[in-house]
Amino acid sequence: MKLLSLSFSNFKRSVREYGMLILSLTFSIFVFFNFQSVIYSDSMDVLENYNKEYIDIIVQAASVVFGVFLFFFIWYASNVFLNQRKKEIGIYIFMGLDNVRIGKMYMLESVFIGLFSLLAGIGTGVLFSKLFQMLLLKLSDISVDIKFFFSWEAILITAGMFLVIYGLMTLKSYHTLKTSSVLNLLSGAKQQEMQKEKWIITFLKIAGGVGILLFGYYLAWDTGDLNSLGNALGAVVLVIVGVYLLFSGLIPAILRKLSGNKYYLYKKERTLWVNNLAFRMKKNYRTYAMVTVLMICSVTVMAISIAMKQRYEKLTHFDQTYTYQVLSSEEKNGEEIAKGIEQENKVKFWNEMQVAMVEPSVVHSKYTYTAYGLVAFSDVKQAAKKAGLPFAYKELKDNQAIELSHEVLMDISGGAIENYEQKIGSETYDVIKSDNTPYFGALQNNTKIFILSDKTFENLKSLGSVTYFYNYRIQDMKNMEASKSYLNTLAQSSEDGQAFTGVNYTQIDGRQDSWIRVMYSLCIFMFVTLVLAAGSIIFLKIGNEVYEDKERYKILEKMGIQKKSLRKSVRNEICFTYYCPFILMTITSYFSVKALGNVMRENLLMVNIWSMGIILLVFTVICVISVYTARKKLSLTS
Amino acid sequence: MKKVLEVRNLSKNYGKKGYETAVLKDISMDIYEGDFIAIMGPSGAGKTTFLNMLSTLDKPSSGKILLEGQDITALSNKELSLVRRDKIGFIFQEYNLLDNMTVQDNIALPLSLNGAPQREIIRKVQARAVDFGLESHLRKYPYQLSGGQKQRAASARALITKPRILFADEPTGALDSKSGKDLLGCLKNANEQENATILMVTHDGYTASYAKQVYFLKDGKIHSRLTQKDSRKAFFEEIMTMLAVMGGEGE
Repeated sequence: MKLLSLSFSNFKRSVREYGMLILSLTFSIFVFFNFQSVIYSDSMDVLENYNKEYIDIIVQAASVVFGVFLFFFIWYASNVFLNQRKKEIGIYIFMGLDNVRIGKMYMLESVFIGLFSLLAGIGTGVLFSKLFQMLLLKLSDISVDIKFFFSWEAILITAGMFLVIYGLMTLKSYHTLKTSSVLNLLSGAKQQEMQKEKWIITFLKIAGGVGILLFGYYLAWDTGDLNSLGNALGAVVLVIVGVYLLFSGLIPAILRKLSGNKYYLYKKERTLWVNNLAFRMKKNYRTYAMVTVLMICSVTVMAISIAMKQRYEKLTHFDQTYTYQVLSSEEKNGEEIAKGIEQENKVKFWNEMQVAMVEPSVVHSKYTYTAYGLVAFSDVKQAAKKAGLPFAYKELKDNQAIELSHEVLMDISGGAIENYEQKIGSETYDVIKSDNTPYFGALQNNTKIFILSDKTFENLKSLGSVTYFYNYRIQDMKNMEASKSYLNTLAQSSEDGQAFTGVNYTQIDGRQDSWIRVMYSLCIFMFVTLVLAAGSIIFLKIGNEVYEDKERYKILEKMGIQKKSLRKSVRNEICFTYYCPFILMTITSYFSVKALGNVMRENLLMVNIWSMGIILLVFTVICVISVYTARKKLSLTS
Repeated sequence: MKKVLEVRNLSKNYGKKGYETAVLKDISMDIYEGDFIAIMGPSGAGKTTFLNMLSTLDKPSSGKILLEGQDITALSNKELSLVRRDKIGFIFQEYNLLDNMTVQDNIALPLSLNGAPQREIIRKVQARAVDFGLESHLRKYPYQLSGGQKQRAASARALITKPRILFADEPTGALDSKSGKDLLGCLKNANEQENATILMVTHDGYTASYAKQVYFLKDGKIHSRLTQKDSRKAFFEEIMTMLAVMGGEGE
């Protein structure tokens, strides 16, 4: 079949010509496949089934993000490809081929490119998936032997996802080709460039973009309570739409204004590069918007990762306030227990408190699975002093209480409510503060304790059963096993279950929480991939434009424009292309990270600054390479 | 009269050593300020090669080209681009306007790159546009213009820096006769009123008749030279006769 062989030879040629396109398609498939194979491989099974589910959810979420990314990327790439081919296709039409046949030829060619990229992507993906998982677990501080694993599901999902998106885009291109006129095809990409826009449309776009962005920011700012999820989702959609409108309205308007103001424009190389940018904006704003959104995603993902790490460290620190906690229904000699521990370990500090454990009904709570306790003010005060924990309260009034809470990983419940009224027994008390200092260490995680004035405590302790807490922290946490044999001898309970003594050992190796570590390593991977993707999209775009620019620069050189000027012009134009989306991202990411900080109860400003710094660095490196290759292609190297 | 360009014993060979073909053989000529010279000759006579050499785009095999006393054949590429920027203007057959900027910006480009003050650039571009009948097209992009308008814009751009000499390679080659006439009128005006020095290559007798002098190239040598005496019409007849005598392409 002639058509088939023509498209195949076209494809062979395009492997060379559109190498970057194939490379980037391959890369995106590669990344997507790797994330998929994390879900289906059994190397993660070491994380106990319970946690694997969490990781799968996270990886699924990451896959959705990458799916969206894949969609935009393929859309962009196939558009670029179509535009580059339009002129050639126009010539085919002149030669007497009809649109339908050309469309078919183009489709076949696209299919070759798609299949080639798919095979290459999955092939490299399979080869590297083990390495990827090794890196992931290494970064997560989990040591497991990973076997080479081959999962049909991951391959099928990746292939299916890609083929659906790519197929849609190819059909779209086919439709464009079938319906476009010869003239349209011949003038190719030029048609879309630099069309004057009615000012009212520009104005509406800008006003709409700014308005939508501001509303998105407002939603992002307003997170931290129960409607956080809805807000966050709304903010994401609004920011994407807003960025899109802004790039289609504001940036072209500014560039038009600049190129219209000759007093600004006629200043050395500006005539060249500002004009070039303005001329291309119409065609390029989607790319800018896409890159900006990708970068916002990457910074947010990075912030999630670091926030997770910070929270995780706080949680661990919280839990490790004490090494051993001895609970007993009868009073013990704390000093004696300390001596027992000292046989094997050096005690750093210890303290004792008595807590009246009460039934949920006493505090009128509907959560019957939570334990509740009451403790006296002076008791906590002396214990805090011994443990070196901050305790900055003056005496409590008899009708006041302080609630002791614990650290959480994420909080969308609206945070701790302060200044509420709490009924204990028959009286009502003012809760003046919710405090998450770990006075009771790990046991505070599932027990809600109220600090009461000494007098109130004396009155109320009869409502529950008094339990004595003896908390010990040893010098060398790693040696905690050594004292266990002694402490185990303390544990006992009476026949009727009324009297008991129990020991709580702190977990130092929190395998249960390893999913959090995997999560932040995954986030870091996503950050890297997204930043690289954003960078490479601009890189591709510039490569493509330089190809178009060759003619112009030849003319300029013939006119006697010095290479130095041309080099400057190229540099300025490329720098704008990289840093304009970066600046918009800087503004936007501040809000998205702020929103995240609200939910995670962390101050993420430094994370924001750091991740932007990293992106700036990556972009600068890519920008320098871009400038260098562009100059080389335009033969402007000195 | 000031001598702008001095060509001495210029030769150009193409091809590998031992198998060379001589395109230009030992050409010498002087061009003075205010000259308007046309170079004619049949295809393959070496017209374009000659022009490329004079305009620094190509280097001769031997001989000297002195632009205001400076030998441009001995200059480095960097120095050459400076010469092109400061002393030479070009008009090409295919216009070579930059399609990504307006006519106004195209004309302003050389001045702007030279760092001239903005006010002066705007004034000069405006004046030049009036001379070349482009004042209503300044805000348009090249693709919105006709061929003749494009070529006039390209000429305006070439003349905006007041070059010592303007080189034109088949400037009317792609134009219809009306547009060609308009363009030549503009060039003639620039020559007469601003004393611009112009060297133009053409194969068209009518175009050549706008010049003050016509050089005929044949087989790499200057075959003969005509100077305009009275009317342009008579000069045109003279040129046509000369072409017929020379053989080759008589149009």
